[in-house]
Amino acid sequence: MKPPARAWRRSIGARIIALFLGLLLAVQLAGWSALHASLVDHARSELPTRLAEGERLLQTLLDRKAQGLTDGARLLAADYGFRAALGSDDTETIVSVLANHGARIGATQASLLATDFRLRATTAAHPDELEAVIARLAAQAASAGRADAIALIGGRPFQAVLVPVKAPLLVGWVMMAFPLDAQLAADMRSLSGLDLTLLVRPSAAGAWTPRLTSLNAAQAAGLADETWPATGAHAGMRPVLVRDDELGVRALPLLGGPGNSTPGAGVLALLSISVDDAVRLPRDLQLALVAINLVGLAVFVLGSILTARRVTTPLRGLAEAAERLGAGDYATPMQGLRRDDEIGALSHSFERMRVNIAGNQAQILKLAYEDSLTGLPNRARLRETVDEAVARAAPGAGMALILLNLDRFKHVNDVLGYRLGDLLLQQVARRLAGEVVREGDLVARLGGDEFGILLREGSPPVALAVARRAAKALEAPFELEEHRVDIGAGIGIACWPAHAESGDTLLVRAELATMEAKRQGDGPLLYDPAIDASSAQTLTLMTELRHAVENGELRLFLQPKLALDDRRVIGAEALVRWQHPQRGLVPPAQFIPFAEQTGFIRVLTMWIFEEAARHWRTLDEQGLAVALSVNLSTRDLMDQELPRKFEALLAKHGAPAGAFCLEITESAIMDDPQRALVTLDALSAMGLRLSIDDFGTGYSSLAYLKRLPVDELKIDQSFVRHMQSDPDDAMIVRSTIDLAHNLGIVVVAEGVENGEVWEMLRDLRCDLAQGFHMGRPMPVEDFVRWSSGRRAGAAPAGAETSRLLH
Amino acid sequence: MRSRRAPVSRFLAAFAAVLACAHAAQAAGVAVSVVDPAGRPLADAVVTLEPVGTRAPVKPLAGVQVEQVDRRFVPQVSVVTVGTPVAFPNHDTVRHHVYSFSPVKTFELKLYAGMPHEPVVFDRPGVAVLGCNIHDQMVAWVVVVDTPFHARSGATGRARIADVPAGGYQLRVWHSSIPEGVEPATVPLTVAAADVEQRVVLVQGTPR
Repeated sequence: MKPPARAWRRSIGARIIALFLGLLLAVQLAGWSALHASLVDHARSELPTRLAEGERLLQTLLDRKAQGLTDGARLLAADYGFRAALGSDDTETIVSVLANHGARIGATQASLLATDFRLRATTAAHPDELEAVIARLAAQAASAGRADAIALIGGRPFQAVLVPVKAPLLVGWVMMAFPLDAQLAADMRSLSGLDLTLLVRPSAAGAWTPRLTSLNAAQAAGLADETWPATGAHAGMRPVLVRDDELGVRALPLLGGPGNSTPGAGVLALLSISVDDAVRLPRDLQLALVAINLVGLAVFVLGSILTARRVTTPLRGLAEAAERLGAGDYATPMQGLRRDDEIGALSHSFERMRVNIAGNQAQILKLAYEDSLTGLPNRARLRETVDEAVARAAPGAGMALILLNLDRFKHVNDVLGYRLGDLLLQQVARRLAGEVVREGDLVARLGGDEFGILLREGSPPVALAVARRAAKALEAPFELEEHRVDIGAGIGIACWPAHAESGDTLLVRAELATMEAKRQGDGPLLYDPAIDASSAQTLTLMTELRHAVENGELRLFLQPKLALDDRRVIGAEALVRWQHPQRGLVPPAQFIPFAEQTGFIRVLTMWIFEEAARHWRTLDEQGLAVALSVNLSTRDLMDQELPRKFEALLAKHGAPAGAFCLEITESAIMDDPQRALVTLDALSAMGLRLSIDDFGTGYSSLAYLKRLPVDELKIDQSFVRHMQSDPDDAMIVRSTIDLAHNLGIVVVAEGVENGEVWEMLRDLRCDLAQGFHMGRPMPVEDFVRWSSGRRAGAAPAGAETSRLLH
Repeated sequence: MRSRRAPVSRFLAAFAAVLACAHAAQAAGVAVSVVDPAGRPLADAVVTLEPVGTRAPVKPLAGVQVEQVDRRFVPQVSVVTVGTPVAFPNHDTVRHHVYSFSPVKTFELKLYAGMPHEPVVFDRPGVAVLGCNIHDQMVAWVVVVDTPFHARSGATGRARIADVPAGGYQLRVWHSSIPEGVEPATVPLTVAAADVEQRVVLVQGTPR
C-alpha cells in the first residue's frame, strides 16, 4: 500500500491544485515584477523631473525669502525713527540703529550706503568683506531700485537685500544680510522630499565645504568631495555614489555662476535624492500587494480545492462504481447522472454499461442455472443452492437431498424417439414440482433422466416421506400423445449433516444412494456408508479385500446342483468365501455388494473362474465330471476382454469350455443389453454355457430372452421357497419351466429347502435343483467327499442349516 | 551730512544765451525759459540771480503756505527767502505728519489736523525736501534762497524776474529732477537796461 502522501501527490486533485497555484504564482510574480520594474523605471525617470521641480522650488523659496526680506527691509527703512537716526550724522548712532532694526527682521548684517552706494556705516566687523556683495547689489539696484543676492560673507552664505531709504526722496540704501541656515534645508525636505546641501568655497582655488545640509555629515562630505564646476550648471541629474548610496544630484550655482560678478567665491546648492529610496515601493503599496496576493492565493486554494473535488469526487464515485461492477454488483445505480458535463456523460455511459451487463448477466445466469427443457434449475444451480444452504444453515438445522434416476428412460428414447422422451421429462418435472415438493424446496433437473429435490429443512424421516411421495407421483402412467408409459425411478436420499459435511459430499452421497436404490429396486433408499465405496469403512474393506486376494484368504466353495429325476450331481455353483485371519469367515453379504459397486468384483470373478478351472481338473481326475457355474456381474459383462481372459484360464488349466456355466442376472444384462449381448455371444461362441440367474425378479422381456444364447434358466428362490404355500408362486414356477422347456432351455430351481418342494419340482419336470435340502456350499474337499459319498448310494444330505444368498 | 563734493559733471547744464540788445536802463526784467534736453518746458523750476561781488539784501517773505490738499502738498515747489516762516495748513480730513530730514531745515510736525500752532521758519539757504510720514507718496520742496531775485517757472517753463538792477549776476536754475546734494550749475548773466531773455536747457541728473 502506498503512503497516503504519495498517493495524494499523484492524485488529479493535487495536480489541479498545484497547477492552479503554480499558474497564479507565476501570474502574480509576473505582475509584481512588471509593476515593480515599471514603478522603478517610472521613479527613475521621475527623478530628474523631481530634481528640476526641486530646483524651481528652491528658487521660489529663495525668491520668496528675498522678497520677504526685502519687504521687511523696506518697512524698516521707512521707519521714521530709523530715518531720523540715520539723519543724525552720528556714526555710532547709525551703527546702533542698523543693528537694532536689522535684528528686528533677523538680519545679522546691516549697512547703510549712500545714494552712490558708498558704504557709510555697517555693523560688520570687517567692512571689506562686504565690497563684493555691495558691488553686485549696486549693479542690480541702480536699475531695479532694489536688489537681492546670495553672498559669501566671512565664508558663510548669506542672502543679502538692498533697499532704498527715502525721506521721502532717496537719501541712501540699506543693505541687510541674512544667514542661510538649516531651516532652508528643512523646508526643502518637507516641501519636496529632496535633500539640500549648500557647498561653499571662498575662491576658485579653494575646496568645496558643506555649509548646511539635510543629509548626514558623511554624505554631505561625500558630496563635497565630488568635482563641481562652479559655473557650469548641470541641466540634468547627476548620479553620485556616496557611501554605497546612489544619490541623484542636481547642482544649482547660487553664487559664482554665470552672470555673477564675483569670480572665485562660490555657493553651490545641491539637491539630492536617494535613488534607492525613490525606487522603493511605498510601504502601503507593498502591503496592499502582499494582501492582494495572499487573498488571491487563498481564493485560488479554495477554488482549486473545490474544482478538484468537483472533478475527483465523481471520478472516485465512478471508480468505486467500476469496482462494484467488477465485483458483480450490478444493482446499484450510478451517481452523478444529473450532471450535464463530461463526467455526467461518463456516468451515463457507465450506467448504460451497468444496465447492459446486468441484463447480460441475468441472461447468462438464466442459461447457466436453468435447464432449458423443463425450465427447472439445473445441476449447477442445485449445486450452488446446496452450497449456499449448507453455508447459511442455522445450527441444529438439517436438510436433505433427494435424487431420482428414471428407470429405462433410455429405452423410452430408443423406442418412442427423443421428442417423446423430452415430453416425458417435462411431465416428470411438472409432477415433481407440482405434487411432491413443499414451499421452499427446490426441484432441479440434473441432466439426462436425473432429477433432484432439495429439502431446505428435512430430517431423514421427512426426506424419506417426500421421496415416497415422489415415487408415488411417478407411479401413474404418463400420457405421451397416444402412448402410455409406465416409468419408475431409483430414488436415493442423503441428509446434511447426518451423511455429509459439505454440499459436494451431499450430492455424491445422494447419487450413491440413488445408484444403490436402483440396484436394489426396492424403493427410496437412504444413504448408508456401507454402500459407499469412498467411505472410510469401505476404503478399509477395499484394502483388506485386495490383501485377501493376494494372501490367499479367499476360499472356493461349491454348492451342488442335482438332477431332479435321478438325484445325480450334475454340477455345482462356485462361490467365494473369505476366511479372514482375525474376523473369521466373513459373510458374502458384507463384501460382495461392495465389490460390485467398486468394480473389485471383476477381480473376484477372475479368481473364482480360475479356481473353478483348477478344481475342475482335480474333480475330473477323481471321476467327478461336474459342470461348474460361475456368477458374472454387470461389470464383468461390460469387460470386452472377458472372453479372452477366460480362454486363457481354460487353456492354462486344460479345462474344456463346455464344463463351465456362467450365471448372469437379468438386471446385469438390462443395464446395457447391447454391450452385454456382445460379450455373451462371444462367451457362448467359446462353448461356455450361459444361465439366467434369479429369473423372474427383473423386467427382462422375453424378446431378450429369445435373443440371448441362453442354455439354462434359474428360477429365483423367492418363488421356489414359497411355491409350496403360494399357488401363484407355484404357477410362476410351472410357467417358467414350461416356457424354458419350450425354448429348449434347461431349468434350475434355487432355494430348494425340503423334500416337498423337491417333489413338486420333480413333478413339474424341472431339470435341476439347488438348495440346502440337497447340499449347502462347501469347500472343494468336502464337496469331493460329499459327492463320493452320494455316489456310494447315500441319500441326499439332511436339512441345511444355513442359507446362501448366492 | 550733505556732501559738497558732489561732482558738477554728474549733470550737464548747458545753456545758450540769447542776448537781446542791452539797454542802458536802471533796471530790467529777466525771463528764463527752462527746457529739458528734448526741448520740453520744465515747470516748477526755480531760477535765481545772485549779484556778483555784492550782496543784495533779502527780507523774509510773509504768508507763505504749503497746504495739504487731497494728500498732496500744494504747491509742490515753493521758493522762499531765508528766514521766511512757512505755514502747513492741513485741508484734508486725515491727519498728516510733515517732516524734513534735509540739513537746510530738519523738522517734523507730528500728526496734526488743520493749522499747526507754529509755522516753520527756513533760516538757511538750500533745498528742503518735505514728506509725510504716513503718506509716502507726498513730497514737496521748499527752496530757500538768499537773494531777492528769484522766480518759479510756470507750465510753459518760463520764469520772470522783474526789476533786476543792471549789473553782473550768476543765473542759477534748480529743478526737482536734480538729485539731492548736487549743486545746480550757474550761468553768468549781465543785466543792463533792457530785459533779458535766457533759455536754459536743463540736463537732468537722476530723476526726481
